[in-house]
Amino acid sequence: MAKTAIRIENVRRVYSSRKGFLFQEKVESEALKGVDLTVDEGEIFGLLGPNGAGKTTLVKILATLLLPTSGKASVLGYDVATQARELRPHIGLVLGGERGLYNRISARENLRYFADLYGLPVADRERRVEEVLRKVGLSGEETRRVEEYSRGMKQKLHLARGLLHSPKLLFLDEPTIGLDPKSAREMRKLIRGLVDEGVTIFLTTHYMFEAEELCQRVAVLSKGRIVARDTVAGLKRLVGGDRTIEIESYGLDGPEVARLKALPGVSHLTSEDFGPRERVTLRVRGNDLTHDLLTAALPGHRDLSVRERPTSLEDVYLDLVEEAPE
Amino acid sequence: MSAPVLRPSFGRTMFASLRLSLHMFLADPQWVIPSTIAPVMFALAAFEIYRGSGPLLILYAVLGAGMMSMWGQTIYGSGWAIWQDREFGTLEPTLGSPSSYLGVIGGRVIWNALSGLLGGAIVVLVVGVAYGQPLPFQAPIVFGLLFAFVILSLAAVGLVLASIFVYTRYAGFIQNVGEFAFYIGTGAMFPVILLPFWVTPFSLVFPPTWVIDALRYASIPGYHGFAWGFTGDIVGAVVTTALYVGIAASVFRRVERHVLEVGNLDEY
Ligand SMILES: Nc1ncnc2c1ncn2[C@@H]1O[C@H](COP(=O)(O)OP(=O)(O)OP(=O)(O)O)[C@@H](O)[C@H]1O
Ligand SMILES: [Mg+2]
Repeated sequence: MAKTAIRIENVRRVYSSRKGFLFQEKVESEALKGVDLTVDEGEIFGLLGPNGAGKTTLVKILATLLLPTSGKASVLGYDVATQARELRPHIGLVLGGERGLYNRISARENLRYFADLYGLPVADRERRVEEVLRKVGLSGEETRRVEEYSRGMKQKLHLARGLLHSPKLLFLDEPTIGLDPKSAREMRKLIRGLVDEGVTIFLTTHYMFEAEELCQRVAVLSKGRIVARDTVAGLKRLVGGDRTIEIESYGLDGPEVARLKALPGVSHLTSEDFGPRERVTLRVRGNDLTHDLLTAALPGHRDLSVRERPTSLEDVYLDLVEEAPE
Repeated sequence: MSAPVLRPSFGRTMFASLRLSLHMFLADPQWVIPSTIAPVMFALAAFEIYRGSGPLLILYAVLGAGMMSMWGQTIYGSGWAIWQDREFGTLEPTLGSPSSYLGVIGGRVIWNALSGLLGGAIVVLVVGVAYGQPLPFQAPIVFGLLFAFVILSLAAVGLVLASIFVYTRYAGFIQNVGEFAFYIGTGAMFPVILLPFWVTPFSLVFPPTWVIDALRYASIPGYHGFAWGFTGDIVGAVVTTALYVGIAASVFRRVERHVLEVGNLDEY
C-alpha cells in the first residue's frame, strides 16, 4: 500500500473581486466547489479539465500560494494552510508560460538566485545549477538572457528551477502548453524520467493523450467539481463502451435519435449539428450492435455515413465535461 | 534523492536579492540617467540663483538636490519592489520558496538606496564641475556617517511603502503625489522651517527630515535648522527610523497572509 502524498478534503475556493471605481461592487466566484482527492507517493497523477475548471487554483492551493476558503488539504503530511513554511522546501511548482522569470538576466543567474532562495549550500550551488541545466537540455544556452529564449526554452527553464532543490513532489501546471509537438514530446520524456527517480508528480493538462501517455490515475475537474477519478482504463469503462460510433446524416429527428439510444450496448449518446448535417456519437459496449442493426434503425437515410473507432480518453473526457453540473 | 531540509538564512536571502538587483541593473544600466536628470537640473538652477551668495548656500542647495535624487530612487525602487515581481510573474515562485519575502524586499531596498547614492554622487559631481572647484565639505567623516544614515532612513521608508503598495491598486498615484510632497516636506529642497508651520509635524513623521537637518548642521557652518539642534536631530532620526523598520516588519508578517487570501499574486 503506497503512502498518501496529497490529501484533499472538501476544498472550496471563492475569489472575490471588485468591479467599478467609486461605487465598487463585490463580485464573488466559486472556483472550487468542494474537491476531494488523494494522490499516492511515487505516482504521476493527472488533473484534467477545460479552461476555467479550477485546475490552477487547486495547484496553487496545494503549493501554498493560495489559501482554501474552506476545507483541508495536506501535502506530504503538512497542512497547506498552517504548515506552509515546513512544506515549501519539499515541493516544487512549475507554472510555466512566458512570465515568471527575470527576463533581462541570464538563465544561469535566474537559477543561481532561486538556488539561494532555496538555501542550497553555496558550495553545491554551481554544480547543481549546471546539473539541472543539463537535465532539461539547456546546457550551452545558460549565459543567454532569458528574453532571447523561445517559449520551449523558457518552459524548460521553469522546470529546471522547479528541480533545483530536488523536491519530493512536483506540481506541473500545463507543462506542455504552447510547445510544438517535438518540444512537448521532450518535455513528457523529461517528466517520465523524474517519476523513475521517485518524484511524485501532480500535473494538470488539457490534453487527453498527454494524460493517457503519462498518468496512472487521472481526475477530471469541471466547473470546480471533480466529475470523475480513476485509472485511465477505468475512466474509459466508466463512461461505458470501448467502441465509439459516429453517425452523420441530414435531418435526424428526435424519435430517430431515441431509437439509436435504445439499440443494444449503447451506453451514451451525444448529438451535435455539424454544418447542415447532424452528427450522433454513440458509446457502445460489446459487439451486439452491428452495422445492419444501425441502418435498420434509420430507414430512409441513404446519405448515412457511419464510422467506428476505439473509444479514446478524449471521448470520455468530453462526455464527462459536457455532463458536469453547474 | 531526498536532500536534507534546506532553509536559507535571512542574510543569505537579502544578499541574493541584492545580487539579483545588481545583475538586473548591469543588464540595463542606462535607467539611472533619467532619475538623475531632474535633480541635476534643480542643482544647476540653485547654483545659478545662489551664485553670489557664497559657497555655503550653494552647498545647501546641492545637498538638497542630491537628496532628491536619492529619495527618488528609494521611493521609486522600493515602492515598486513588489510590483516588479508581480509584473514579471516572479512573485509566486519567490513566495513559494522557503525564503523570507521581507529578506527579498530588504535586499532590493538596500540596492535602491545604494543606487540612489550613485545618483546623489552624480549631482554633486556635476555641480562641482560647473562650480569649477570641489564643494567645501566640512567634517567629511561625520558627513560620511550621516550619509549612510540617510540611506538607512530612506530604506526604512521604502520598506514601509513597499508593503503598503501590496494592498493598493493605486500605488502609482500615491508614488507620484508622495514623491513631490516628500521633496518639499522633508526639507530636501528648502529648509522645513521656511514652510507653513502646519507642515512641520507632518515632516517630522519621516526619518529623512531629521537626518537631512543633521546633515546640514554638520556640513554648513552657521546653519539654523530645527531648534533642538544636531543632537536632537540624531535622536529623532534614530527613533523614527526604528519605528519605520518595526512597522515594516509587522506589516510584512501580514502581507503574505493577505496575498494568499486574496489570490491576486499574478496580477499587476
Ligand atoms: N485571481 C482571481 N480572481 C478572481 N477570479 C479568479 C482568479 N483566478 C481565477 N479565477 C476564476 O476561477 C476560475 C478557475 O480558474 P483557474 O485558473 O483555476 O482555471 P484553470 O482550470 O486553471 O483554467 P485554464 O485551463 O484556463 O488554465 C475561473 O472562473 C477564473 O475566472
Ligand atoms: Mg490554469
